[in-house]
Amino acid sequence: MITLQINGQPHDVDVSPDTPLLWALRDALGMTGTKYGCGIAQCGACTVHLDGQAVRSCQLPIGSVGSRAITTIEGVGSTDAGAKIQKAWLDLEVIQCGYCQSGQIMSAAALLAQKASPNDDDIDAAMAGNICRCGTYVRIRAAIKKAAAA
Amino acid sequence: MTRLYWALIATAAVAAVVAAWIIYVPGPTAFASGSTVALNDYKDANPTGVPASLASADLVKRGEYLTRAADCEACHTAKGGIPYAGGLAFKLPFGTMYSPNITPDKETGIGNWTDADFLNAIHKGIAPDGSRLYPAFPYPSYTLLTDDDALAIKAYLFSLAPVRRVTPKNSLMFPFNQRWLMAFWSLFYNSNERYQPHTDQSAEWNRGAYLAEALGHCGECHTPRNLMQAVNNKRKFAGAVTAGWRAYNITQDKTSGIGSWDVEMTEKFLAHGHVEGLGTASGPMGEAVDMSLRHMTPEDIKALVVYLKTVPPIPDTSLPVPKTLLASTFPSDHEVNENARGAMIFAGACEACHGWSGKSPVLKYADFVGGRTVNDPTARNVAQAVIWGVTRHSPDGVVTMPGFGKAYSDEEIAAVVNYVTARFGAEKSNITAEEVRKIGKQASQ
Repeated sequence: MITLQINGQPHDVDVSPDTPLLWALRDALGMTGTKYGCGIAQCGACTVHLDGQAVRSCQLPIGSVGSRAITTIEGVGSTDAGAKIQKAWLDLEVIQCGYCQSGQIMSAAALLAQKASPNDDDIDAAMAGNICRCGTYVRIRAAIKKAAAA
Repeated sequence: MTRLYWALIATAAVAAVVAAWIIYVPGPTAFASGSTVALNDYKDANPTGVPASLASADLVKRGEYLTRAADCEACHTAKGGIPYAGGLAFKLPFGTMYSPNITPDKETGIGNWTDADFLNAIHKGIAPDGSRLYPAFPYPSYTLLTDDDALAIKAYLFSLAPVRRVTPKNSLMFPFNQRWLMAFWSLFYNSNERYQPHTDQSAEWNRGAYLAEALGHCGECHTPRNLMQAVNNKRKFAGAVTAGWRAYNITQDKTSGIGSWDVEMTEKFLAHGHVEGLGTASGPMGEAVDMSLRHMTPEDIKALVVYLKTVPPIPDTSLPVPKTLLASTFPSDHEVNENARGAMIFAGACEACHGWSGKSPVLKYADFVGGRTVNDPTARNVAQAVIWGVTRHSPDGVVTMPGFGKAYSDEEIAAVVNYVTARFGAEKSNITAEEVRKIGKQASQ
């Protein structure tokens, strides 16, 4: 049994330590807001925060998480940066099909928490690993800037 | 006339001495001082066989340990194939060779081999039909194995399920396709002698030497070869390129070798293939750890390190002192502008696992910081990892980096490789697309 700190709450999961966090979240805990995309850290759909840093949960073995705080799309709205990002996302109607968007929001929220006023290069660096096949990139960039100004 | 005659004699004599010097290579433990004795005359603990904890195990179990220590599986298994059923392709400049099936299948494997056949192959490089084996099969190392240990390995191999798998035919060009020539090669380069302990060294050192030289055959990759393609122990463990990957300098040189690693770090690296701040073993060394070293007992790992610590340092000025500082959390404008394409690919495909700083946010095995691979200005191993990916069956489970060789062009791979060495290494690389193309083809498949 491994105890994970997710969105401020302890959760016990009974899976082997080499299980990626994404599987523990979705299959063991039923928290399906975090999406499975590629499984090889190439798309960003599974992004969560580990002590505030954006990480790909499909590549993160739960055995290496320890007591570090995990934040998922279900809990990011209770952080300052997360709330601003979610509001900007709604204001600008960023989402199209939506599949990648929990990952996009998690990466954007981590960026905003680290850099209050990110420039275009910062946004490129932080968001390049999050792919959107609907092509919402332009609105994503605008929403990050709007959230930073809020 | 007489003067010319003597000049010719002198020239011939000098040429003979030079030729002899080029051809001659010292034995694998010749660097150690003191005299050697035959195993039977050695008074201290026996350096051969299995560790004490397995001494009373049955023959097959002992054979399993020794087979792992000799890492037979790494070469005798095709990529994704059945272990020991052979078929791994070695891409050499003069053609392609395939490792044979060594499961006990009677038609396509070694099921009909007698004990004498097996010893002949292991010690002399001679197949049961009398033909010569190529030294890609490291019989000049395995010749140091005792009969008992070799036959324990045979017993283990014969306990496996026979697999019917015909070994593909080698496609070597003349004269390399002439197996009989190996008889002359063996005259010079196969001692056909069992391991002889050094009486001046400790029992632990001798155990380490037996593990490194007879079983583990470290030098087959880590020691450069001479003109005759024999392991050149004049530059023992000074580093070489094998199967397209750079096997690094593992002498005790503090800058370019592993002399700055303490005993504990070295043990940990061998047993895990990763130490924080020293990077991760990948490619053939990753396989050596996963298939062989990590299955060895802590006492054997310790003995190996005791031995490695005595290997004389040989500096390699092409390798810088590894950079141990983390890079910044975000890329600086300067770096991005210098290699925009590399930065873009890194941001999209690499950063999620490796991180901008070189310390992975998800997996310790994906750390760059301090590793020799990113601190090698030839960038050969970074390129191989990008092209073919890395799969480690680590003590912490399976760790995989996908191969990008089919996803990105050679130009793109060169750009991202140069970005990685510039950002995380002590010296940036300038690998070209053409080099990436060539290097990728050299890897075993």
